[in-house]
Amino acid sequence: MSDTTTVSITINGVDHEVEAGQRLITAAEKVGEYIPRFCHHDKLEPVGKCRMCLVEVEGPRGKQLVPSCTMIVNDGMVVDTESEVVEKAQEGVLEFLLINHPLDCPICDKGGECPLQDQTMAYGPGESRFIEPKRTYEKPIPISDVVLLDRERCVLCDRCVRVADDIAGDPLITFNDRGNHVQILTFPNEPFSSYFSGNTVQVCPVGALTSVDYRFRARPWDLEVTPTVAAHDTVQSTAEIHTSRGKIVRVYAAENDHLNDGWLSDRDRFSFAANHAPDRIVSPKRRVDGSFEDVSWPEALNTIAERLGGIAPERVGAIGGAHNTNEEAYALGKFLREVVGTNNIDAQLGDGFNAQLAAAVTPRATVDDVESAGAILVWGPDLKETLPVLYLKVRKAVKNGATLVVASPWRTGLDSIATSVVRYRAGSGQEVLRKLAQGSAHEDAAAALTTGPVVTLFGRASLSEDPRLAESVAAYGRTLPDARLMPLLTRSNVFGALDMGLAPDLLPGRVGIEAGSAGLDAMGMLGAAAEGALDVLFLVGSDPVRDCPDPALAAKALDQADFVVAIDAFVTDSSAHADVILPAALWGEVDGTMTNLEGRVQTVSAAFPPRGQAQSLLEIVRDLAAIMGSGDILPKDTDTASSSLANEAPAYAGVSRESIFFESDGTGVVVPTGAGTQPLGYIPTDAAVPVVTDRFTLHFAPSLYDDGVITRHAESIAGLVPDVTVRISPRDASVLAVSDGASVVIDDFLTLPVTIDADVAQGSVVVPFNQVATKGLIAASAVSVEPVRGDV
Amino acid sequence: MSSPIATWSAEGQERAQQLLALYPDKRSAVMPLLYVASLEHGHVTNEGMQQVAELIGVTATQVRSVATFYTMYKHEPVGRYLVSVCTSISCHLLGGDEVLDAACGAAGVEVGGTSEDDLVTVERVECIGACGGAPAVQVNYELIEGVTDIKAIDLIDWLRNTTPEVVLADELQQLFGGQKSFDWGVPEPDGAIAPVPAFGPYGSAEEGR
Repeated sequence: MSDTTTVSITINGVDHEVEAGQRLITAAEKVGEYIPRFCHHDKLEPVGKCRMCLVEVEGPRGKQLVPSCTMIVNDGMVVDTESEVVEKAQEGVLEFLLINHPLDCPICDKGGECPLQDQTMAYGPGESRFIEPKRTYEKPIPISDVVLLDRERCVLCDRCVRVADDIAGDPLITFNDRGNHVQILTFPNEPFSSYFSGNTVQVCPVGALTSVDYRFRARPWDLEVTPTVAAHDTVQSTAEIHTSRGKIVRVYAAENDHLNDGWLSDRDRFSFAANHAPDRIVSPKRRVDGSFEDVSWPEALNTIAERLGGIAPERVGAIGGAHNTNEEAYALGKFLREVVGTNNIDAQLGDGFNAQLAAAVTPRATVDDVESAGAILVWGPDLKETLPVLYLKVRKAVKNGATLVVASPWRTGLDSIATSVVRYRAGSGQEVLRKLAQGSAHEDAAAALTTGPVVTLFGRASLSEDPRLAESVAAYGRTLPDARLMPLLTRSNVFGALDMGLAPDLLPGRVGIEAGSAGLDAMGMLGAAAEGALDVLFLVGSDPVRDCPDPALAAKALDQADFVVAIDAFVTDSSAHADVILPAALWGEVDGTMTNLEGRVQTVSAAFPPRGQAQSLLEIVRDLAAIMGSGDILPKDTDTASSSLANEAPAYAGVSRESIFFESDGTGVVVPTGAGTQPLGYIPTDAAVPVVTDRFTLHFAPSLYDDGVITRHAESIAGLVPDVTVRISPRDASVLAVSDGASVVIDDFLTLPVTIDADVAQGSVVVPFNQVATKGLIAASAVSVEPVRGDV
Repeated sequence: MSSPIATWSAEGQERAQQLLALYPDKRSAVMPLLYVASLEHGHVTNEGMQQVAELIGVTATQVRSVATFYTMYKHEPVGRYLVSVCTSISCHLLGGDEVLDAACGAAGVEVGGTSEDDLVTVERVECIGACGGAPAVQVNYELIEGVTDIKAIDLIDWLRNTTPEVVLADELQQLFGGQKSFDWGVPEPDGAIAPVPAFGPYGSAEEGR
């Protein structure tokens, strides 16, 4: 029986009911008839280029060979995938593909997992009739800092070109020349500088595209695969760690259609080198006479326990925990609240916004909601620079027909596909929002937000923007048709950390603390420490000197605090101030769960034990609690923590590492899973943020590659950090009488070259955040800009 | 685009704008614009392709993809007169290879080479659609049919000695051609002023006459 959504087809004499509208190659695969292919890829538009998927289909004029990747299934279709004619076609295609293929499989990275190799084995002619010399090219040639190209191996399947163009929107590689000389190339001296270039390596069906990091490092059959998530940003794309001989050799994307569709950003893919960086902290250190010396774990922990004894709990605080698993964050929260007795906890660094808004805004959007949205409003950080895989999802939504409005003081990656772009002077967001809501300006934008469901992605456009504006945007987004809201914080597992109560006003499981009993937030703690009102400060994988809006205050706070404990993997500008440094395990070394920006909880797994003497945060606080005589309060291991938080944290009711593993299909679970299990439902209200009226306002914009600790330690991407310039509008440039490339002084101390940029809102100054050259700049709304004297 | 873009002559810029106005989708103008780029620099250069990319809103590599697919876009400098000799099947059977050898000999070049005085480039091409009048030769894409090896030598010498500003198919045919495949109709008023085809506003010889 066929209904409208299925059709009957016959493959190799067997009848099947398959979903209508899909490609024959996909339909056949779903019923267990695998058709070989090179160019076909589930996530890419069909091109029918390689001809490997030819099958015989019966038509009015008898059986015909057709490419099954472009053919849509029809009712009554009779298909033969194994006939003599099909076999001959497959042999012919493979014989032709191998005419110029170098057959260097023994030294090819792809050997052992190569569709060309495998399909030649399975469908190939066995021997070739070609005896002519093969066409050769120089090999390999770098097409970017991270990707190498071997043109001899290429079968011209067009997958990489489609990934670059259709998926990433960076059409920087394509076919060149013709006939026997067709080859994939970039433009001369214009590298394939895409944030998504690594995906081309993963989808390449031969060894033509290889990554610099992985080249000659391992053989596929020696790899151990550890399923996990890419923990660099809050999208937490589903991924795999591939290890060989105890080292990560590559990171691959896993296909999670609810999340990353099998894509990863290059930062997610290539930052693993940090795990093996030579300057990682691998043993506990204690400051003695101004320099660090290695000590044993008991010595280090005893020093901390002694220092904590007899201190008033409110004089202790902890900043960080956003890079840890939920279980680690849960244990840290328990340690601080129940062993130490303080609510001075913050996983954010003054760089985000209201924790209750971020953790419990309602109605909350999922990534699937973004994909199927009628309209999308993005008012927050540049998605391409901060949450690249979410940027891909928004591109997909626009391709699906969603209208898109982007509001930002400067050009963002999404502007080119936006229906309407609202460019506003940094610091004047509230005014723009008011006009947008009233309909007194930005009519185009308002008109593009009328088709529901409207998903509003809100966050802080830059560190210098008032954090309350995010709430005003969310409140506006809530008034739009069939509204869904997605908070945009960007750091690793910060949503998991907030859900585990690593915020001054939250308890595990999205439970609010009343205002009166809330602790200090990160900026509050730093302020208190700077004034001598806080004695002991824990820095948990956090670097406030580089990442908080006021680096000078952070540095002063760390100097003034009596005792600073850094739980970190590296000596950073902040942990350098510590009295004790405890070596922390990194991503890839810890088991647990993490929660992304939609509340999706996925499991993460250790690919190998922590480096040296490093330990997971859970083990560290558990042992510290034991020394302090409260060992029974903390969970003894990840599984205990996981089941205990599944009981104790309401929004996570019943969601444990074990339940996710056994009950989800590998795509994770969005919490809360049931209605009524989330105690706090935060309804955003307009914050009436005052408009900043200073001459110049700062847009302190983050970029994908910055001087962040992990990026800095990942050799292959560290070199991709962009040149630092100050961007101002042409109008402001003429008022200041500066030309392109001239120098200006920012806030009286930072001399930087100017780029005149028509995409900067007038009155705003765009400075890249967290770069070596912009160290020390305070992320305030107002900023001063002076031309360098004698330069005018 | 961060790379420096060569500036075109005012005339080239104007032609580019005229061409862009012809197409509802700007990127459709890529091929005629490449001829403009070719005229501006004498051949298709990286700067030229970048300029085209900027004009039509695609990446330079996408323009290069088109520019390297078609052999009529020259990526290396060629002489003032590009002599293309067909050696595909009909021309081959009727002596195209001898014509090619003769032209090369007269110009003093190997196939594909340019004479020392930068006046003549001789190349071998695939079918140029004049099988009925084989062997066929083009000078700056202006067609001559029924060429012999003797006539080919005359042609090269004539180009060298008279260095015409404009080459015209009808004139060339009269001087160096033989049997034509058929009468092409009214005389073609446009000729070529450079090694790019003469049609429409680009490569047109109107002003050059």
